[in-house]
Amino acid sequence: MSSVLEQWKSGLGQSWEHLMEGWRQLWERAAGALTRFQPRERNDEKSASPNLPAPAGGVRWAVLGADIYETDEALEVRVEIPGLDREDLEVEVLDGQLVIRGEKRLEREEKQGQYRLMQCAYGRFQRAIALPVPVKAEEAKAEYRDGVLKITLPKAETAKTRRIAVQG
Amino acid sequence: MAETNVTTRPGSEVTAQAQRVPTAVPRVDIIEDQTGITLWADLPGVSRDALEIKVEGDTLTIEGNVSLPVSEGMEPIYAEVRAPRYARSFTLSRDLDTAGIQAKLNQGVLELRIPKHQQAQPKRITVQAG
Repeated sequence: MSSVLEQWKSGLGQSWEHLMEGWRQLWERAAGALTRFQPRERNDEKSASPNLPAPAGGVRWAVLGADIYETDEALEVRVEIPGLDREDLEVEVLDGQLVIRGEKRLEREEKQGQYRLMQCAYGRFQRAIALPVPVKAEEAKAEYRDGVLKITLPKAETAKTRRIAVQG
Repeated sequence: MAETNVTTRPGSEVTAQAQRVPTAVPRVDIIEDQTGITLWADLPGVSRDALEIKVEGDTLTIEGNVSLPVSEGMEPIYAEVRAPRYARSFTLSRDLDTAGIQAKLNQGVLELRIPKHQQAQPKRITVQAG
């Protein structure tokens, strides 16, 4: 009888580990998507309206969802970053990571408004996405449309898929 | 001005169609001033053609479909939580003039301006020197 119980226990231990592993992966992904927005110093903000409340604690978080697609030749990364100007986006490849920096500006200054609801995050942010294969950073292309940043990264020669014919 | 001019509705109010497709609730900023309210909603990936703004009675609904064309032979290898559709409803106060709504969409951010009716706007009365 005891052996059955022990088996059951070890089975439970295993599934618990699987569950924890799942959580760990989910957490790591979510932690990457959750991006910190650092507002500019108050002093820089010449036209900041006193009617607008400062976000709580001065720091806001937002989820910038990212997808990676793969073809034989390239990787394509898409990140949801609504409401920026092209000039405020900066993209680079560093140590196998795609690093995206930008600034979402608050353009509400002219409105002499009363605050109702503020859910969007503003300020400077940085997001790093680990690339699964080596890429040719110098041939990368980026496009920003409808609030989605699309980056095409050609794969390095070593990373390309090659079919090897089996000799008879 | 004490009453809330815009009320966000719980998810259950969103149309039945919305429940079939995974749908995200867009984040919004709403600011009220003396002549109306301005609403900004984050809708990344929604183009102008895929966006629908409706007013039915006192209900304002924003719906948008995400259109991300996938080219031939592209395999998704990593995807974060994302819904292909956005929807959110708001209840508007009677002070707001829904006929005068103006909408702009720029890089995935929708800006809606909803003016107040003339009678709901504060009036400045100049006191004449007698």
